[in-house]
Amino acid sequence: MASQGEISATTDQNGGRIGALIRSRSDQVLVLIALFAIWQACSFWLGTYWVGSPWGTVTRLISGVLDGELLSHASFTLAEAVIGFLLGGIPAVILPFLLRRLPIVTAILDPFMVGGYGAPKLALAPLFILWFGIGIESKIALVAITVFFIVYFSALSGIRALDTKLVQMAQVVGADEKDVARHIVFPGAVPYIFTGFRIAMPYAIGGAVVAELISANRGLGYLIQLSAMNFDTTGVFVGLVATGIIVFITNMAVNISERRLLRWRPPADARNQVGT
Amino acid sequence: MNAQPLLEVQGLGKRFASRAGRDSSLWVIRDLSFSVADGEFLTIVGPSGSGKTTLLNMIAQIDVASGGEVHFQSESAPINDPKALNPGLSCRIGYVTQEDNLLPWRTTLQNVLFPLVVQGRLNDETRARAEMLIRTVGLAGFENHYPHELSGGMRKRASLIRTLVYDPPVILMDEPFGALDAQTRTVLQEDLLKLWNLGRKTIIFVTHDIGEAIALGDRTLVLTRAPARVAGEHKIDLPRPRNIHGLLTDPKFGELYQRIREQVQ
Repeated sequence: MASQGEISATTDQNGGRIGALIRSRSDQVLVLIALFAIWQACSFWLGTYWVGSPWGTVTRLISGVLDGELLSHASFTLAEAVIGFLLGGIPAVILPFLLRRLPIVTAILDPFMVGGYGAPKLALAPLFILWFGIGIESKIALVAITVFFIVYFSALSGIRALDTKLVQMAQVVGADEKDVARHIVFPGAVPYIFTGFRIAMPYAIGGAVVAELISANRGLGYLIQLSAMNFDTTGVFVGLVATGIIVFITNMAVNISERRLLRWRPPADARNQVGT
Repeated sequence: MNAQPLLEVQGLGKRFASRAGRDSSLWVIRDLSFSVADGEFLTIVGPSGSGKTTLLNMIAQIDVASGGEVHFQSESAPINDPKALNPGLSCRIGYVTQEDNLLPWRTTLQNVLFPLVVQGRLNDETRARAEMLIRTVGLAGFENHYPHELSGGMRKRASLIRTLVYDPPVILMDEPFGALDAQTRTVLQEDLLKLWNLGRKTIIFVTHDIGEAIALGDRTLVLTRAPARVAGEHKIDLPRPRNIHGLLTDPKFGELYQRIREQVQ
């Protein structure tokens, strides 16, 4: 396709992109089949006591969805993840903007933020359960704190990557501080913020599940823990697969909104996002 | 020419802070003086690295001078006080920079309208003017394209009319056509002359291309190597309207070119 004339470049590119998309999708199906095959082989050789069979998992998954039990656990986990994501993510986006004009405060906060970023959040789970009880609050708190540090550093690097020439241009044509923040700093930081969102989303769901593992009476983590205590390996697998599916769906939601918001970016970036 | 200059630069100097290990700081511009009359098209040529961009940055007040004086309509620019700068002097000085500096997240039309939006002057009349300018420079049909979907010449045109759209009385131009191929450059130079004939603004146009400086300007200043000073001043008494292609064979053009070239080292 590179040898074609320049006039047909746009349509060519589109055709190429769709072709690549189909190819990567069919490759993904192949990988999925291979994973199922390996899984099946493992459960055959080791026995379903150690590795639940794919077939058993899928039927349990479907029946769990149909009788609503699995759905209610999954939606509980999803609710924790989404609420925690918003509670942690929104301040993480706003804070670097507030600190933009206060480099000294940012510098003072920096070591503490790095410490918070690096600290193992899972170790906080018992503490949060102590503080907020075994209900939804402790899970939301764990998710929020996990998401906060990831998104904070992404948003901060987006603001630091600001092109000062664009700011000068805007000031020359009459933009005040508020215009600069709204029309230059924020749109420039959006791609970085989305990178943070994309990294943080699986952590949000993982955090919710892990918090449930420790102590809960609902949610996928609780389901996994309960199944493990009853030596129900297939039940554990059902919980794991359901978690994976939720991660996949939420990641897709982030990608779709990102592509919608960042239509202005050159296709080179867009192409990297194909086949996520 | 009017007796009272619109813009006056006197003994202007710019020094960048010395790096550790070096004793003396570097003067990029020193003791530079000139003035610009209302409605004049002044071109400035100089070797690369002669502080031409720094000079325009100081006039536009996005950079602060280290010494000397800059007067615009009898107002003085701050010296050595970056906090007192007023970039664009309240929209009275427009600046077409070397890079197009279009906002990548705005379409062509949105980029052209940007000054009107931040100045709170977006109405039917100004919008119509923006659309007229877009048509004049041949960007019709590309209003909803993002900058990465435009060619280099189109981006230049968009950045040029983004400054023209709010009609500042003075426009600074920093090698706006430098990165373009010769063909596109000539077309854009003719566009610029056409637009200038419509409004007769005061323009300070910086370039390293002597031919461009002669073809466009009423007067040409030649700068020395850093620290930059005025090496010479040439009145370009070629008749207007000018035809860029026709000029090249004009004997007067050749003579001016020769004289200026000798001063540019």
